[in-house]
Amino acid sequence: MDAAAEVRQENGFAGESGATKMQERLQKRHQARTEDAERRKEAKESQSVAEEKGEYFSSTFNRERLCIEELLSGCSGADRATVTQRLEEATAKTVRLQKFLNDSVLFLTQYELRQAQAALQKLQTSLAETREEALPKKKFAFRARTKAADKASAPVSDPAPPDVASATPTGAAEVDGAAASEQCGFSNMDNEFLTKTSEEIQKRDVLLTHLSNCKVRLLGSPSTLHLKHIDSCEILCGPVSSSVFVDHCRNSTLSFPCQQLRTHNTTDTQVYLHVTSRAIIEDCHGVSFAPLSWSYPTLEEDFSVSGLDRDRNNWSQVDDFNWLAAGTPSPNWTIIPESERKTNWDP
Amino acid sequence: MGLLTILKKMKQKEREMRLLMLGLDNAGKTTILKKFNGEDVSTISPTLGFNIKTLEHRGFKLNIWDVGGQKSLRSYWRNYFESTDGLVWVVDSADRLRLEDCRQELSALLLEERLAGATLLVFANKQDLPGALSKEAIREALALDEIKSHHWCIIGCSAVTGENLLAGVDWLLDDIAARIFTAD
Repeated sequence: MDAAAEVRQENGFAGESGATKMQERLQKRHQARTEDAERRKEAKESQSVAEEKGEYFSSTFNRERLCIEELLSGCSGADRATVTQRLEEATAKTVRLQKFLNDSVLFLTQYELRQAQAALQKLQTSLAETREEALPKKKFAFRARTKAADKASAPVSDPAPPDVASATPTGAAEVDGAAASEQCGFSNMDNEFLTKTSEEIQKRDVLLTHLSNCKVRLLGSPSTLHLKHIDSCEILCGPVSSSVFVDHCRNSTLSFPCQQLRTHNTTDTQVYLHVTSRAIIEDCHGVSFAPLSWSYPTLEEDFSVSGLDRDRNNWSQVDDFNWLAAGTPSPNWTIIPESERKTNWDP
Repeated sequence: MGLLTILKKMKQKEREMRLLMLGLDNAGKTTILKKFNGEDVSTISPTLGFNIKTLEHRGFKLNIWDVGGQKSLRSYWRNYFESTDGLVWVVDSADRLRLEDCRQELSALLLEERLAGATLLVFANKQDLPGALSKEAIREALALDEIKSHHWCIIGCSAVTGENLLAGVDWLLDDIAARIFTAD
């Protein structure tokens, strides 16, 4: 008890006698603190990069913006080539500016950011307007098709611009040349018996178009099979490793193993099918299905070439894209009754 | 700070993106989706309707919509346009017969107002097939160089082997991220 009282007294004495001292000490500490703050501020300033300041940002941003605006205003009245070049440049600059803004987001205030964003938006709008005005959008003039036609008439000449050609050894013309060798098939025939052997087909895309009253035997494994505009034909094909496309086919009998079958605009056609995924029909009616029954000596070999699963056949599960009502069967396709299925495929 | 701002911030934090995958039928959209997600691709059948997959990639949450490409389904595509960040257009590089169809469908899409802000990635798929056109040929056939309204990029890939799928999606993510996650 006594000790505590003594201590309190001592403190009291110290307070009275050291009042001036205390003030001095406070003063000193205050000074130290301001100096310290000053020093920290300086250090911070020397560390911070010039690029990361609002001022730098706004001056650069505005300079670039003016530059783009100038480019755009110079577009009216200039000839097409110049305009195109200017627009390209303006577009590139705008993209760069957007990137610059994105990179600067970290240190910008909300206000600055909004302002810049708005300015950029305005710039993009006027860029689009200028483009619309100076170079009205072409009504898609089938540029690619005319080129394709050029190629067909002069397959040796390379219509691709030199930079593209040098950048890629497989230029457009070369690819088309390859196409001719990759694709095989028949077209524009009437009343013929047509065959292709395994050697001719191996892994190629096979295309049959505009055939009527023909019997076709494709003994091999194509990559894809396209049938287009087929009338009253009997077409039998070996295992197709991916899809079979049937379009505008009528009054015909088809047979093949495949991974997927996509049938369009087809009427009154029978399909003897082995399909490992699904068959679909779209805009069809009177299409009927039965399991594959045709065979030929090298079928097994071709099956293994195609990679199709011999044991999985979903021939009876047909999706009709024009019949989305679940529960009610589509009226557009049927299953061929067993008694009516064809078993003799001799030509 | 209004509720909307809070919601926006939350979405930003999640870094969520919505990708819409379109293209003609048999282009390989579903196969790309499944391959990217590491699923079996051998039993895929033509898409009647659509598939949605949500997956995480590089810290982004991707909602990928794969809508069937059959002619009768194309009129429904527009139901999926809303708030799409990236459009993936898949092309069957071996299907020369329908390249013109393909070009027309794509150019019609790009005029859609609700897709105006979306980044376009064109996958020249099926490069593993011997009859496939190169991505340069596809680029020309689809007149991609005329596209000024969207950021775009074409990448040759094979959904069956998985080649280049990652490169394509990475480009798409980078482009979208630069647009929506940095500036407000």
